[in-house]
Amino acid sequence: MASVPSKHYTDDISLLVVTLDTNPFFWSTFSFHFSEFLSQVLAFLNSILLLGQLNQVVVIATGCNSCSYVYDSSSDRNHASTNGTMPAIYSNLLHNLDEFVAKDQQLTTAHKPGTVPSSLLSGALSMALCYIQRAFRAGPMHPQPRILCLHGSTDGPEQYVAIMNAIFSAQRSSVPVDSCYIGSNNSAFLQQASYITGGIYYRPPQLDGLFQYLSTVFATDLHSREYLRLPKSLGVDFRASCFCHKQTIDMGYVCSVCLSIFCEHHDKCSTCSSVFGQTQSDVASADSRKRKAS
Amino acid sequence: MSAAQQVVKRAKYKTTVKDPGHKHTKEGSNKPPWLNLVHSQGSYIFEFESFPDLHVCRELVGIALSKHVETTKVVSDEQLSAAEMTLRIKLLQENSKLQKLHKELVASGKLTESEFWATKKKLLDQDESRKLKQRIGFKNSLIFDTKPTSDGRIFALKPAVHQAFLNFVPSKMSEVDFWNKYFKAEYIHSTKNTIAAAAEAAEDEDLAVFLKDDEILENEARKKVRRVDPTLDMEADQGDDYTHLPVGIRLRKFCFTISNCSRYSANGYPEGIGEITELDHGIFRDGSKETSEAQNTLYRRTLLQDLNRQSEVVLEGKTLDIDTEHPRTVAEVLARRKQESDGVIEEERRNRISKMAQIEDLQAQDDHPFAPLSIKDPRDYFDSQQANAVKTLDDSLAGKETLRCNLSSEQVYGSLRKSISNIKTKGLKDPLLSPEVALKVLSGLTKNISSTKSNLGKSSQESVLDILPSTIKEKLLDARRLKDAISQIDSKLEEIKVSAKSDLRHQVSLVVHPMQQALEAALLHYDADEKKRSAKVPKPNGYV
Amino acid sequence: MPEVRIIAKNFMDMVASMPAMKLDKLYENAFICEAILRSLPPLAKKYVLQLLHIDGPVSAKLLAEWVLPDGLSKHKVAVDRLVQLRVFVEALDSGTLPRESMPSNITVRLPTLEDLETYALAQWECFLLHLISPSHVDKTLNISSSLMKVFQRRLLSQRDREAPKLTESGFQFLLMDTNAQLWYIIREYISNSEERGVDAGDLISFMLELSFHVIGERNIIKDLADLGLVKLQQGRKESWFIPTKLATNLSVSMTESSSRKEGFIVVETNFRVYAYSTSKLHCEILRLFSRVEYQLPNLIVGAITKESLYNAFENGITADQIVSFFRQNAHPRVAQRIPAVPENVTDQIRLWESDLNRVEMTEAYYYDEFPSRDVFEGACDCAREWNGLLWEDSKKMHLVVKSEVHPYVRDFLRRQK
Repeated sequence: MASVPSKHYTDDISLLVVTLDTNPFFWSTFSFHFSEFLSQVLAFLNSILLLGQLNQVVVIATGCNSCSYVYDSSSDRNHASTNGTMPAIYSNLLHNLDEFVAKDQQLTTAHKPGTVPSSLLSGALSMALCYIQRAFRAGPMHPQPRILCLHGSTDGPEQYVAIMNAIFSAQRSSVPVDSCYIGSNNSAFLQQASYITGGIYYRPPQLDGLFQYLSTVFATDLHSREYLRLPKSLGVDFRASCFCHKQTIDMGYVCSVCLSIFCEHHDKCSTCSSVFGQTQSDVASADSRKRKAS
Repeated sequence: MSAAQQVVKRAKYKTTVKDPGHKHTKEGSNKPPWLNLVHSQGSYIFEFESFPDLHVCRELVGIALSKHVETTKVVSDEQLSAAEMTLRIKLLQENSKLQKLHKELVASGKLTESEFWATKKKLLDQDESRKLKQRIGFKNSLIFDTKPTSDGRIFALKPAVHQAFLNFVPSKMSEVDFWNKYFKAEYIHSTKNTIAAAAEAAEDEDLAVFLKDDEILENEARKKVRRVDPTLDMEADQGDDYTHLPVGIRLRKFCFTISNCSRYSANGYPEGIGEITELDHGIFRDGSKETSEAQNTLYRRTLLQDLNRQSEVVLEGKTLDIDTEHPRTVAEVLARRKQESDGVIEEERRNRISKMAQIEDLQAQDDHPFAPLSIKDPRDYFDSQQANAVKTLDDSLAGKETLRCNLSSEQVYGSLRKSISNIKTKGLKDPLLSPEVALKVLSGLTKNISSTKSNLGKSSQESVLDILPSTIKEKLLDARRLKDAISQIDSKLEEIKVSAKSDLRHQVSLVVHPMQQALEAALLHYDADEKKRSAKVPKPNGYV
Repeated sequence: MPEVRIIAKNFMDMVASMPAMKLDKLYENAFICEAILRSLPPLAKKYVLQLLHIDGPVSAKLLAEWVLPDGLSKHKVAVDRLVQLRVFVEALDSGTLPRESMPSNITVRLPTLEDLETYALAQWECFLLHLISPSHVDKTLNISSSLMKVFQRRLLSQRDREAPKLTESGFQFLLMDTNAQLWYIIREYISNSEERGVDAGDLISFMLELSFHVIGERNIIKDLADLGLVKLQQGRKESWFIPTKLATNLSVSMTESSSRKEGFIVVETNFRVYAYSTSKLHCEILRLFSRVEYQLPNLIVGAITKESLYNAFENGITADQIVSFFRQNAHPRVAQRIPAVPENVTDQIRLWESDLNRVEMTEAYYYDEFPSRDVFEGACDCAREWNGLLWEDSKKMHLVVKSEVHPYVRDFLRRQK
């Protein structure tokens, strides 16, 4: 006798939140051109939408002064501003991105010339998590969310606490953070983010094949990841930044009460106001200074 | 105890009696018929001529002694209360077996009175608790045959009458007048003439009190509705399975209740059906016709209201055990009790709700693996964070190895926007990527994947091998592990060979030898391979 | 066994079973390519995507390298499906899908998404009601009666002069979810198309294009409008049609869309069923296996009773179908609970069903008058050996064996003589 087929909510419906590095200082110094990067990413986003009618893509632009949602495939406003030559997703995204960059420029504050400021990764992550939380609360039938960080600029140690908080909240709501890092050195933040949340960290060695990397590694939905072997990062840089000067440190002081990290000895924890003991403090701080100098 | 007594006796009278042993000697024994009477100072031993004589005397003595015990022992033992005493006597009267036992043990002096009752303590306690638990209820006979003063029944049934009695009786009218008025009102009700009732009520305002709907009852009904447990009990039992209960049974049950009150059974029945629907989970099916005659409804009282009220009171039980006192005191005591019980019910309800309110589904998950960061003084904390961030933003970067960027912000933003508009006009790069690049990337990735196969989910950051490019490292680890395993097996085989008994050794070595040879060959090959490999310069693939 | 099986088959299975020539022709259409891509299993989707830009052949081993031991079966299913659909062509080359951008939307005043959805569902419901009980519907459909007969062919049985009755498969059809029902009707529609002089291949490609918003033939459109697949919109000069959610779901695999629908049924432990629905159809469906007690404007209250269930079982509905109907349509409030339907209710429904199946029929052979006890014991052992001994009475030497075993026992007895 024919029976009604049993149905389960299929796991391969994805909500992909992409944070896009739009740090102009980085791109103008980087060998790979932004327009090429963008066209590969756009093709990737379009193919994600193509894979399933219910798939959803959200793009967050990450500048060095601000962050903003530049595209949401579920939003109704997407129908406007099509000129017929390219799909709505492209023209919408590009339009919003252009506006965002203009706004970001206005917010520019003076920074030391000759250096590349870091992008606001912490802000982008927080926005992504907020969006995902909204999806969670919309009902039991939400798609499987994941975050993909497409970044190239160097880590900003001053964002350490905020980024770690974002990572832990992502871990808590079991949202994996994938990172595709295109910069020359590995990003410790993104490595940790992916490691802690169970996402994939990968640094593509050949950037002109970026689409291939994206479609092979990062297009994999969470359901399929159970069955596939994906790149694992081996050496994760677990170094922390201190809370007081935002420097990446190898060794430091940890508050025994709240686990705040400091690079030098303090009388009182700035986070939980615990008073630290005085014994051997001089010796220890001298030690640490020596280490830093070497 | 009794044995000890005998010992004492024996010691005392050792000289006179050699071996008394029992209080009287048994028939057929070779001892002469002796009877030993115990006295407080000592004992007397009588020797009888024959056993029948002994028996007669023994009985007489037994009766005399039992009387003696009841009067003297009880008083001397402990100060018993009168209630305790009557209870014991009552128990003995009720239970013939117990009485017999009592006679045998206490009367014969084997046990003292207190000893006997100590073993029967349970019986005493049980009796007492039973008396406490059971509340004497009202009889299910209707109020219609009650006398006004007999007990608190009318008051319990009709709070309005109760209230009126408290208000009126000594001050406004005598007790007799009060009851006269009450029964007059009852009579008017029984005629079911609502118009007459209205007229009477208009004439006599005191009478109106009885004729009108009981306001207190209404209030209470409202209170009860409010008191309904808001939590839903989802645990169903047999009682909930009403779907399989034919309606007819419920109907008949109800009719039975009605026929109990003979006076109303005839005309009570049709209204009963209306009530049944109400019982059915409060859903009205056929509505009720009681909404008619709107202007006189005030003075209308249906049998059903009476019946419902009565059954409620009967179920509640009598809250008063003394029924001989004056109606006035009865009324007052009832009023006091009611207040108390209301308080108790309210409290119970609150407890129940608070207990029920902790439904699992509604509770937040409390198995957070992370403790929240507790910040003592948030303002201080954030201020310091802010200050630190601003202060260190400039100098922290300076010390680090960063990409140099000598362009102004206008220039960099300009170039970024240019590339965006570039895509806008030209569209995506076409072709996006060449097939060669794609294939190269895919096979590169695949190589990477298959090399990490063995090291899945492990992160060996401490190892020196981390410095090496991952692919090489993986191979090294792989091969090394394999080599270790092989050499282990090798040594094990050697062990086996040695441990075998001398006569079997030959056979064992025959079996083991080829294996050993194969293993050794493998190890040799590995060493050679490693030498070759180390000669090559490792090609970095950029993957850490 | 019923002759007709109602299977909620995926549209794509139908496409996959098409001959290679026709299939290759379908791939010329970009929309069909997209629709097929979407219907693939998750792993297969990923494979297509990652091989999209590679022209040369890729060794199967390279793909398999990525698969964890757990996923091997899934990997095999995915690859088989791709081969079946001729997306992967073995050895020679791997077929690539043409990349197409979505067509630009026509900017007309469009009805809102909610409007479209309610329209689609209302239309579909009306169609279903029409299908089951043509006499009860006030709103008329202009589907030709001959076409309607085609749809009803397997669902209704009509004896002379009697009102048509739902068949066993008709009941099962009603309990399927909307998408599965749609598949059934569309399949019937397509298989009937040849008779009406429309090429099945054209029809399929049109159906698939529908889910990607393209204008097509008119006659079909009218039929589809009656099914609620499209909404006709009268413009000033020309009329438009707008595909509804039902149509776009055609290209989605069934499981995805159906899970999106909000349930409306609450089943309580006391066998009461509360259905928060205004739909007449839902009421009719509930009536199939429960006693509907009250019908309020937006609430139907019913009770599951032994009698109502026996009715359902007689009509060929199984307990599992009823339970899964409750589960699939569980109200969001109870849907999150596990189980969504109280266990005592599901157990009872199953118990009542098994009550009806207490007697099991087995064809058998009966032996008696054995010449000796030895022969009897031998025959018993022989039957036992073949696992066909149903009953024996060693005292009277009677024996019952399954009919399959009869030849062996017969041979055995012959040999004894």
